[in-house]
Amino acid sequence: MPNLNINGRNMSVEAASDTPLLWVIREQLQMTGTKFGCGAGLCGACTVHLNGEAVRSCQTSLADAVGKKITTIEGLSAKGEHPLQKAWVAEQVPQCGYCQSGQIMQAAALLSKNTNPTKEEVVAHMDGNLCRCMTYSRIQKAIMRAASDMRTASATGSERRAT
Amino acid sequence: MNKHVKNLTPETTDLSRRSFLVGTAATGLVLGYAGSGIDQALAAPAPANFEPSVWYAIAPDGLVTVTCGKADMGQHVASTMAQIVAEELGANWKDMRVQLASNDPKFNDPVLGAQITGGSWSTMMNFDAMSRAGAAGRIALTEAAAASMGVPAGELVVRDSRISHPKSKKSMSFAEVVKSGKATKTFTADDLKAIKLKSPDQYTMIGVSVPQLDIPLKVNGTAKYGIDVMLPGMVHGALVTPPVRYGATVKSVDDSAAKKVPGFIKAVTLDDKTTTTTGWVVAVANTYANAKKAAAALKIDYDGGPNAKLSSESLLTEAKRLQGLSDSGQFFVKDGDPNAAFGTAAKVLEAEYTTNINIHAPMEPMNATAEFKGDILHIYSGNQFATRSGAIAAGAAGIDPKFVVMHQMWLGGGFGRRLDADMMVPAVQAAKAVGKPVKVIYTRENDMTMDFSRPLTYQKVKAGVDGDGKLVALSHDVVSAWPTQRWGIPDFLSPSVDKKGPLDAFTVNGSDFFYTVPNHYVRAIKNEMAHNATPSGQLRSVAPGWTFWAVESMVDEIAHATGKDPALLRVELLDGKGKNDGGAQRLRNTLLAAMGLAGYGTKKLPKGEGMGVACVSSQERATASWTACVAHVAVAPSGEVTVKKLTVATDVGTQVNPDGIRAQVEGAALWGMSLALFEKATLKDGGIEQTNFDSYTPLRMSQLPEVAVNVIANGEKATGVGEPAVTVVAPAIGNAVFNAVGARVRGLPITAEAVKAAMKA
Repeated sequence: MPNLNINGRNMSVEAASDTPLLWVIREQLQMTGTKFGCGAGLCGACTVHLNGEAVRSCQTSLADAVGKKITTIEGLSAKGEHPLQKAWVAEQVPQCGYCQSGQIMQAAALLSKNTNPTKEEVVAHMDGNLCRCMTYSRIQKAIMRAASDMRTASATGSERRAT
Repeated sequence: MNKHVKNLTPETTDLSRRSFLVGTAATGLVLGYAGSGIDQALAAPAPANFEPSVWYAIAPDGLVTVTCGKADMGQHVASTMAQIVAEELGANWKDMRVQLASNDPKFNDPVLGAQITGGSWSTMMNFDAMSRAGAAGRIALTEAAAASMGVPAGELVVRDSRISHPKSKKSMSFAEVVKSGKATKTFTADDLKAIKLKSPDQYTMIGVSVPQLDIPLKVNGTAKYGIDVMLPGMVHGALVTPPVRYGATVKSVDDSAAKKVPGFIKAVTLDDKTTTTTGWVVAVANTYANAKKAAAALKIDYDGGPNAKLSSESLLTEAKRLQGLSDSGQFFVKDGDPNAAFGTAAKVLEAEYTTNINIHAPMEPMNATAEFKGDILHIYSGNQFATRSGAIAAGAAGIDPKFVVMHQMWLGGGFGRRLDADMMVPAVQAAKAVGKPVKVIYTRENDMTMDFSRPLTYQKVKAGVDGDGKLVALSHDVVSAWPTQRWGIPDFLSPSVDKKGPLDAFTVNGSDFFYTVPNHYVRAIKNEMAHNATPSGQLRSVAPGWTFWAVESMVDEIAHATGKDPALLRVELLDGKGKNDGGAQRLRNTLLAAMGLAGYGTKKLPKGEGMGVACVSSQERATASWTACVAHVAVAPSGEVTVKKLTVATDVGTQVNPDGIRAQVEGAALWGMSLALFEKATLKDGGIEQTNFDSYTPLRMSQLPEVAVNVIANGEKATGVGEPAVTVVAPAIGNAVFNAVGARVRGLPITAEAVKAAMKA
């Protein structure tokens, strides 16, 4: 039985090695925050992190995920207080909300490497994630807000360390 | 999962110690559907009397839980209902909670008498009922508190979930009053009607952008959509749909290869007496991944049926043929005598406008979970029309609809798609066939090719102008499939002006505009071929999404033909005479607001750029939100259109949650732009050719223009905001393209090729 490291826990699953990671996460592990949208890597609703990189879980096989650190929306932060999640609430981003787990996971991969992205970098990074409610402008604003909050937190953290 | 309200003990006039309920019920509407051999009325009649109500409960801890009978598909309607209740109740927003209602008729819409969410109706039609429910609760709590405190009720002040007596400085929280068990007042229908509601100047909650109650669930993955339902012992179904959209039949199913797929249980060929689906097969297995593998392994032989050779071109050709017949269709509008007026007009303009098939494609693919438990069929699915969908589920199961319980879920997008009930049929029949709960999930390919789409439409508009350049006559023929007639519910059809039988007004709404035109007719012509080959549905904004495309393009064409400014011609036509009094002035003001905000006509734009205007009274004449748009576009020599800015103004009367309204209007405007420029589906050999987001391509972030939204709240009654802005954008863009490069495109979507061709013409 394959073992998966997901959101910091090791869990064994029972599925053929070619099963898309998406369905293993949703059905076997019953973590339904990761969504099925297109099954073809065209919409981004199923985005999770594999070793910190945003990937489409509908295009990732179970075999490819074994031995890697998987993070889903449920594990992005312990209490749902990742700066992006807070920014998503502050900007009142979601409408139907179905694509938003994927949007947040996609954005989180960007901010983990770059907390000062330009608007162009945000658009280039997010363009593969469809939102049928068209909440794009709020998504952009929330990413910029979270990035700013992360920069402030990190600056405050350095000051504390310095003193 | 949301709490299943139906199983709660109904609260009665005896307001219990633990909680109390106040509210209203509705009058009925008999529902049924057109189908093969099932003719009984299928929905339970709504109660004729007011019953102690249902819309919210206050628990002993003071939390107020509002039950929302509307489908919440991202418009935050549950939160809006809670906000209206909270205003009159005097509750603190942090105490408000929401849950989604079952299909129990007691949760029917108080105006519509059914559970249906559409038409941008919810706020306007529930505002009064929710206000009165809230006020009744406040009155009951206040009287109980007065008795407990030993003070006159009239001296009490209710605010932030607390009832205070300023003179004695005594106060009680809602929680304390509920715990006291003294809130025992009941209200009859007349009592409720007699309650004096707050006037807008007294509002402290309505008009405030309180945080939407559903949003926290949607940023941490805990919101439960239909697709997320997990039941004990549940198995999974994957669909195989035929290559033809409608009319195919299954000749044979060979499951020998599927049997080799681990976990495969059964292939179920649907026997759909509701005629919602044709030729569908469900592969059932222990997991969805295995069900998909099994579905792919099935070898199915089809008879393509009567529509197997049809294409978009055939539907358009048929539409033109029908339009050309003098006795086609029925009259929706008939003022004066346009044909006579054309004879004496100084100038007559004629144009044809078309729209292609459009697909809803909500991000959550269609799905439903069915479970037979004793005599009861339980359905778990996010659905916009629980009343009818429950009846379809019952029809698929061969049981009486009163034995169906619909468990409402959050909807991963609706846009009208989830008014339909097709997903009930495979879930129900698979569950029945395997004797276990079954969740059926459509692949994106199933979802797109089996959409109840916005139909292909063809419109012919003729305008007559007199010697002074005044518009004196307009004729307008609208040819389309009839999406709402397909429901088989007479109450949703409208009588025709020429008494030729009922017509589907959801194909012509909007064409009965607020411009003053003395001679004006609109014919609604059903394209039976399109109706059968591409069963159509209600796509966000429905008819005004195509009727205003034609009307607002033609008004621009008239302006250019008569040498007038297109915006000022509209102002002139919105003179508020006769039947247009009131609405016309509001629309005129809204248009002027949008013009002002956009800086219309105030500066010279660079070569290849232009602004275009449009204004609409979507959704229906009786339920209009007054909406105007100025589109600013740049057109490349290749014909490619870039939208630089959309400025949208909308008069909604009263705004409950301004930030929520802005979100809806912006989303709707971007839908309008997406339909105007990027979305096109085509029929070939009876099947929809586009199967996923590589070939059907809604707007992405990189295509986002600047959007400026201005909401006008002038104290009139609250109107809807989910749809109207969809309808105003396409004509505004089309008109802007014309002003930029002189290219008039009359078909949607506006493609670079079409613009380039029109530039040369």
